[in-house]
Amino acid sequence: MIAVEGLVKRFGRAEILSGISMRVEAGEVAAVIGPSGGGKSTFLRCLNGLEPFDAGEVRVCGFTLGPHAHDARKLQQVRQAVGFVFQQFNLFPHLTALGNCIEAPVRVLGMPRDAAAANARDMLRRVGLSGREDAYPRDLSGGQQQRVAIARALLMRPKAILFDEPTSALDPVMAAEVLEVMTDLAKDGQTMIVVTHSMHFARNVANHVHVFAGGKVVESAPPERLFADPRDETTRAFLREAGVRAS
Amino acid sequence: MLRLLLVTALLAGAAGAEDTWERAVRTGVLRWGADQEGGGPFVFSSEADPDRLIGFEVDLADAIGRYLRVRMEFVQGQWDRLSDMLRADKVDLVLNGYEWTPDRALAMEATAPYYVYALQLLARKGGPVRSWEDLRRGGPHRVGCLTASAAHELMLGLAGEGAPVEAIGYDGNTDSMQETLTGKLDATLQDTPIASFYAPRFPDLEPVGDAVAPGYYVMYAREGDQALVRRLNEALIVLFRSGELERIYRKYGIWNREQQQLATILETGRFFGLQKAALSEAGARGDATAEEVKLAGRQRGWAIVSRYGGQLVRAAGITVALSAISFPLAVLLGLFVALGRLYGPRWARVPLACYVEFLRGTPLMLQLYFVFFLLPELGLNIPAFACAIVGLAINYSAYESEIYRAGLQAVPRGQMEAALSLGMSRFTALRRIVVPQAARIVVPPVVNDFIALFKDTSVCSVVTIIELTKRFSVLSQGTQATIELMCLTGVLYLLMSYPLSLVSRRLEQRLETA
Repeated sequence: MIAVEGLVKRFGRAEILSGISMRVEAGEVAAVIGPSGGGKSTFLRCLNGLEPFDAGEVRVCGFTLGPHAHDARKLQQVRQAVGFVFQQFNLFPHLTALGNCIEAPVRVLGMPRDAAAANARDMLRRVGLSGREDAYPRDLSGGQQQRVAIARALLMRPKAILFDEPTSALDPVMAAEVLEVMTDLAKDGQTMIVVTHSMHFARNVANHVHVFAGGKVVESAPPERLFADPRDETTRAFLREAGVRAS
Repeated sequence: MLRLLLVTALLAGAAGAEDTWERAVRTGVLRWGADQEGGGPFVFSSEADPDRLIGFEVDLADAIGRYLRVRMEFVQGQWDRLSDMLRADKVDLVLNGYEWTPDRALAMEATAPYYVYALQLLARKGGPVRSWEDLRRGGPHRVGCLTASAAHELMLGLAGEGAPVEAIGYDGNTDSMQETLTGKLDATLQDTPIASFYAPRFPDLEPVGDAVAPGYYVMYAREGDQALVRRLNEALIVLFRSGELERIYRKYGIWNREQQQLATILETGRFFGLQKAALSEAGARGDATAEEVKLAGRQRGWAIVSRYGGQLVRAAGITVALSAISFPLAVLLGLFVALGRLYGPRWARVPLACYVEFLRGTPLMLQLYFVFFLLPELGLNIPAFACAIVGLAINYSAYESEIYRAGLQAVPRGQMEAALSLGMSRFTALRRIVVPQAARIVVPPVVNDFIALFKDTSVCSVVTIIELTKRFSVLSQGTQATIELMCLTGVLYLLMSYPLSLVSRRLEQRLETA
């Protein structure tokens, strides 16, 4: 579903990503972990064309992005196929929860407003927000906002969803609400790449864990193996930092 | 599109081969330029019917029109800009107390004189200036004159010779008479027709010494329009011989012995373009009806307000029309400039930045002059009202675009990214997500700008539009009831701008809760 070959990204002289390769199959949940500044978020943003890259190739849902791709039409198609959930939610503050959820289906997919609204109500119920359809983002808690953002992304029926540290801006209780929703999605077979600091999620929900450090993937393995037997020195240091004991 | 415009402009230029007189014959219209702010007895609002323009030059123009069988169309212009208007083909001739001077005769085509004027020094009864000699002693004496007039030149010359005189220029004639009365000026130097016409209005001013420096009022046509000048000269000769000229001048109380000079000049043809043939055309003498136009005493208070209020209200309508048409254009243009600078192609950014800096960095008045006077020279002659709209819209678009740029930049980047990530095009993202959020931020400064533009419309008088401020200025010249008219004008502006402030407050509250 998603295949990355030799992805290189530079900001000026600094090389943020130095040749990343990764494959994510349909229905797989990939967790990306690693120390801050390792290039995790930048990697994710390259996958849906929010960030152009300098070398390598990204194949997403049948589309191929090359270096410095700026074919607006193709980018738009890629972004329809791949949803994105931001650390800071990025809800549209001038629209209600429902308005946030139907804007893209109506404007991009050309759905009738009524049908889009019916779908959106169902989806908001699914993420536990029945009754809050008419609330504006400023009247919702952080956890609620992030769940609206997930519903908003899901309503575009994406083939895969990219999560960029979806719980980092939340307190533990609200983070738990959001992780619960994401766990449900994983059970339903939704393809996901999740950049996360939640070792619990990586360990218990992901099928595959990739450790990023210094712009490289230093170790990739199923969670059972990676957490039980981390083989790379950087991984071991990171897991120690994160307070994860080898079991 | 641009090419099409250029071609049209060139064609228009080629059609300009037709000279002004030929065009007048074809269209049956001659446009004559004058400034009603100059006031009586030249061109001014009738006291009996404020909507009607009268004055000896109005009567003269009509008489000429009757002789030439064309309709004489009055065009308002600022006095010291009339020659520019002539050059820009906004008028066909200038007929407004323009003195014959060698400089002007070089730049334009002068007709024979239609009036012999002299300069009369006026001072307050019992004031310090009692003679021309007094002007060379003591002082410094402050003397007011019409800006750029022969009187102004003479006073500047006197000051240049070292006389203790300060020449102060005014845009209207009666301003300096009023100021002399109040003591702000020591004297005023006026053309004799003005001095005698306004004498009843200023009983406390008196002539000092004899009238000096006689000269001629002539009409001016565009350089090269000699056919027109010949026709105008013919008309003058005929009008003089028939006694029509004398009748008109007597009507306004400005006929005097000096005008006999006209006989010598006109009959002997001591000027360019005299057609002897015209002499034979001089027909029967017109009926010398004893009509007379005399100024009523100065009116004050409510009488003035009720008499001229209607005119001010109508002028306020022009002000509203100017702002209501130009501001939406400015808003739209500004929005495109701001979007272009932030999201447009890289090559467009520098030109757009220059556009904004140039328009913000130069005065609105200069830009209006540019549109009004320079474009015609490039072959693009658009009507005054359109000039004003275009000038205001372009000028304000620069300010608007800066407000929108700030507003758009105040919308977090994540909003655009979130919209793009949902598969929206950049355009949809701007239209549905970014611009609506920016709009909330910019409502207060934009309404503020609208109120500012609303008042800036007064600058449009430089391109001959008579809006509220200009009408006030014209009326106060004619009536000297400055205080009453000023209050009324102020109230009208306030009545129009206060509702805007209310609307803005309502809008802000609504957006706040939305």
